[in-house]
Amino acid sequence: MNALAFAWRSLVRQPARAVLGVLGVAAVGALLLDMLLLSEGLVSSMRDLLDHSGFDLRITATDSRPGAGPRIEAAARAAAEIAALPSVRSAVALRFVDARVERADGTIIEAALQGVSEGPARPLTVLRGREIQQPGDVLVNETLARDAGLAPGSPLVLRAACTSDAEILPRITVTVSGTAEFPFETPGESIVAGSLGTLDEACGQSGAGEADLVLVASQGDAAAAAAAIQAARPDLHTVTNDELIGQFQASGFTYFRQIGAVLTTVTVTFALLLITVLLTVSVNQRLGQIAALRALGLSRRRVVSDVFFESVLIVGIGGALSLPLGILLARWLDGILKRMPGIPVDMHFFVFDPAALAMHALLLAVTALAAALYPMQLVARLPIVTTLRNEVVS
Amino acid sequence: MNGSPPRRAAAPWRPRQATARTAVVLAIAASASLGLVSGAQEPVLPEVLLSRQLAAAEGLQPGDVVQLAPDADGAGTRPFRVAGIYEPVPDPAQLGSLPRNVRLHLPDLLELTRRPGAPVGTEHVATINIAVRDPADAERVAEEINRRMPGVAARPAADATGSAATFRVLQRFHLAIALVTIVASTVFLLALTIMLVDERRETVGVLRLIGLPVRRILVQVSLEGLLIAGAGGLFGLGLAVMSEALINAYFQWRYDTALLFVRITPSVAATALVIAVPLGAAATVAASWALMRRNALRLARR
Repeated sequence: MNALAFAWRSLVRQPARAVLGVLGVAAVGALLLDMLLLSEGLVSSMRDLLDHSGFDLRITATDSRPGAGPRIEAAARAAAEIAALPSVRSAVALRFVDARVERADGTIIEAALQGVSEGPARPLTVLRGREIQQPGDVLVNETLARDAGLAPGSPLVLRAACTSDAEILPRITVTVSGTAEFPFETPGESIVAGSLGTLDEACGQSGAGEADLVLVASQGDAAAAAAAIQAARPDLHTVTNDELIGQFQASGFTYFRQIGAVLTTVTVTFALLLITVLLTVSVNQRLGQIAALRALGLSRRRVVSDVFFESVLIVGIGGALSLPLGILLARWLDGILKRMPGIPVDMHFFVFDPAALAMHALLLAVTALAAALYPMQLVARLPIVTTLRNEVVS
Repeated sequence: MNGSPPRRAAAPWRPRQATARTAVVLAIAASASLGLVSGAQEPVLPEVLLSRQLAAAEGLQPGDVVQLAPDADGAGTRPFRVAGIYEPVPDPAQLGSLPRNVRLHLPDLLELTRRPGAPVGTEHVATINIAVRDPADAERVAEEINRRMPGVAARPAADATGSAATFRVLQRFHLAIALVTIVASTVFLLALTIMLVDERRETVGVLRLIGLPVRRILVQVSLEGLLIAGAGGLFGLGLAVMSEALINAYFQWRYDTALLFVRITPSVAATALVIAVPLGAAATVAASWALMRRNALRLARR
């Protein structure tokens, strides 16, 4: 019988403790997997979101985030000028203001109003109806369509607040041309998108022609496009998706990476201590048996490898169980964290990553080995004669 | 998460002064480049306080003269003397971003940011903080102000914390993590107690053979479990208190903030003990239960 089979029989002989040991490793392993996923999940999800938006450069008037700093003047002209660069495929200008949508019964829905310039690609996906084609056309998101009972062709009455929350401008009536999905939509958020001209009209021509942001799709080389834009418009601030991810990693949600790292360390230490104790107690209870096996002719190396494989089996089975358990746990924790205000619908805190899985396997393998070291040493140094005599005397 | 008092605030300043955030902190120069305003004819400059992080980043200290402008292009720059450095009240919502703040007297800020041609006294402020004599009256006072002053929105400070929802979510997340940790610990605890109880099967068998009833032995085992769980709980608390300082020191260094990230309050300590001690005792009893149901002779058999 080889060492692995022998270790398996040793575990099966004590089913309660073996099952509990495996379950313990599964629970700890699930937590470990989730903390590894959390460490990079948000950044990875943000990268996916940016990449799937179809634009790889963002241009603002200053380094302030869009909406927090000065706006780009003559934005449609700036977007057209940028779109004409050889390294650029398309450019679209956007302006964001707050608005209040008036329902038929007179009640109000707070919404975000986006003005989007003309362009071959817009940062939205039309779900029903058609694109914005003429001034006064707007697209709404599904949340607003549901809450306000809107369908393609419905009139929509709104009042914009373009310079402060307290300012409410006269109402305008626009026509819903369809419903759309927006890449950074947050749960429960209502969004209306029209042309820049529609937004200027809603704002009473205040800040007419200005935009908070120009989104640019490069021909494939974002860095080259950024350099070309910077040369053509040195007055504007250009950021690539990679740079944005870098800024996001350095500020925003570093807390989750830090807390993930701390909890990973704590979890691995916890697993190591407990498996060591389990194996040590188990070995201590079987010292007489192990000494008898040695006396029967089993080599030191063989009994040591039995203990090692026992650790491998507990950690291996527990680790395998921890994968589905960890995925379920990640879904639950993601659901909790996504209730944070301002988190887009498509952003996730826990994103499956093969590197995290490999790290999980590596950490568990190291834990299995480290946890077995002390009990293996006990077995290796076991005095056969003394142990057998003590067993007989006791 | 707690704040801490200003570190080196200048004497004439009080903590509640007008705050000019980064929008105003646009043009800064140390006194070395502003020698023109020093000397015998030095005009009396309005004073400002700088956040510790801003002063450190720009190498400024009390007595330096800085130039502040309301616009990014530097138009309308005015000199101010740095009266002191202060530690900003930690804001969890701004974690990860350095607070580059300047505090001015409100009249100085209004003077600096007033649009050309706007008459004095027509400026607006974003917020007025009011301290009521009895905090319990906050709701009533807010309603009274809203009734008497149309156009002004008053609300109790407790309702105005826009970022509270984020921290409630974080609290739920940490509770969920704690729950998983408790489940994992319980499983391990059960495995350990089963092994420890198994080790004492002969002792239990002998005790039963000499006449001790099962209930008596179970009480003894429960008390042992309680003692071990209590000692373990206290040891865990000690470990938590030690790691509290370590974790706070690390994160305060990492984010350059005075925020407290971990705080072991009496209620947190009590909750930990209330969970750990009964859980430990219950695990011991559960592990012993099967042993008590076995035949005493079989237990004592060698």
